[in-house]
Amino acid sequence: MRQRGDNRSRLLFVILIVTSLFFITLDLRGVQVMSGIRSGAQTVLAPFEKGASAVFSPVGNFFSDVVHLGRTRAKLKRLEEQNASLRKTLIDRKSADAQIKQLKSTLDLAGTAGYTIVNAKVISQGNSTSFSETVTIDVGANKHLTRDMTVICGEGLVGVVKVVYPNTSLVLLASDPSFRIGVRIAKSQQIGILSGQGTDHAVLQLLDSQSSVNIGDALVARGSQGDKPFVPGVPVGSVSSISHSSGAISEIAEVKYYVNMNALGVVAVVVKAPLADPRDILVPKPPQPVPTVTVFVTPTPTPTPTPSK
Amino acid sequence: MNTRKNILSFPIFLLVFLIEESIFNQIHLPFGGFSLFLIFSLSWCALSTPETGAIAGFGAGLLMDLAPHSQGSVGQWTLVLIITGFGIAYLRYGDDSLRNSPLSLVVMVSLGVVVSLVLYVFAGALLGMDLGSSFQLMKTIIGNGVWTLAVTPFLLPIVSRLHGLIFETRELK
Repeated sequence: MRQRGDNRSRLLFVILIVTSLFFITLDLRGVQVMSGIRSGAQTVLAPFEKGASAVFSPVGNFFSDVVHLGRTRAKLKRLEEQNASLRKTLIDRKSADAQIKQLKSTLDLAGTAGYTIVNAKVISQGNSTSFSETVTIDVGANKHLTRDMTVICGEGLVGVVKVVYPNTSLVLLASDPSFRIGVRIAKSQQIGILSGQGTDHAVLQLLDSQSSVNIGDALVARGSQGDKPFVPGVPVGSVSSISHSSGAISEIAEVKYYVNMNALGVVAVVVKAPLADPRDILVPKPPQPVPTVTVFVTPTPTPTPTPSK
Repeated sequence: MNTRKNILSFPIFLLVFLIEESIFNQIHLPFGGFSLFLIFSLSWCALSTPETGAIAGFGAGLLMDLAPHSQGSVGQWTLVLIITGFGIAYLRYGDDSLRNSPLSLVVMVSLGVVVSLVLYVFAGALLGMDLGSSFQLMKTIIGNGVWTLAVTPFLLPIVSRLHGLIFETRELK
């Protein structure tokens, strides 16, 4: 059996204990030296920690993940579900934002012209096998819709209500090949018949053989008797090309619709037209050309050295 | 007491401390993992005389107090490791039956780690430290003990060799 320690070692033990208690007291009293030493140690260790973190962080959670493999899988599954849910929310939100934008522009258009409208949401597009350009909206007889009401959106004419069901309605789009509408060239009294072609373009035939049309001319709905099926003043499209056929009685032009019929979200059904024809106030303003900034630079003449005297 | 040898052992402690802080702290082990530095220090103390054990505990405790992640007061780990360092050296040094059994050394170091943690928690409670739930404390302390039991057999030969290099194994004979 060895001698486990003499008085000297016990004295050392007591001195060390007292020293540590002294440190604790100093620290508890808030002596700056102690916090300074700890902060200095952190400063010294930081580069080592950063270097090691760059190397070991990829494997840092390896052991923990191995032990918690089942829990990790469940967590992963939960996170995937949350991710999918958030993605759906985001898509819904984007869709809602787009619909709000469409609704706002529709309300602006209707408000400017003084139309009384019923807002509707497009709930389905027509089947391509039916060979007709139609959409179904989510309002019908429940909102007092009747056949042959004009359907508009923020950009202009969408179509006309063809069939009314109790809670939905079928809208014949302006792009349908059977669609015909009497139009007027804005800022003039020239009138014509616009026919749908099943595409995003329609064909305009002027009624007067003496009339002429120009590219970029805006067309608005002329309006029908009793405002059915068309209310007056609704923007329809603009002339994109003109064909001068020698055999034709009058000029024929191709018209591009203002409305993109493939991206309809929120529309409005005009249930009551204004007392006065809004004329051309709904025609969209042509885009203003952006002025080009030209900068002229004149080089400074090179100074010639003067001979020193 | 051999002051020169104690001073010589300081760089080794510092190196192990740096390894612990920079590398082992990056690895998240389940049930609290283990402290390489604590195992190293207590193994070192177990191989030393009570005087050296107390001094080694003092130095190791001071380094642990200065560790950036340490939440306790400066001196708290120092106090704890002086007691456990001296205690483990005191128990091991006088008993030859314990000295010649590596298994008993492993068990003693593991118990030393558990006692150190318990003392630290106790001191922290006295000093008004926020320690968290008792379940979490128990889990960490027991987890550390079990991890130490598993890790110490691999670490002990290295500690023993380093200790021998400094103290020329005279204290073991």
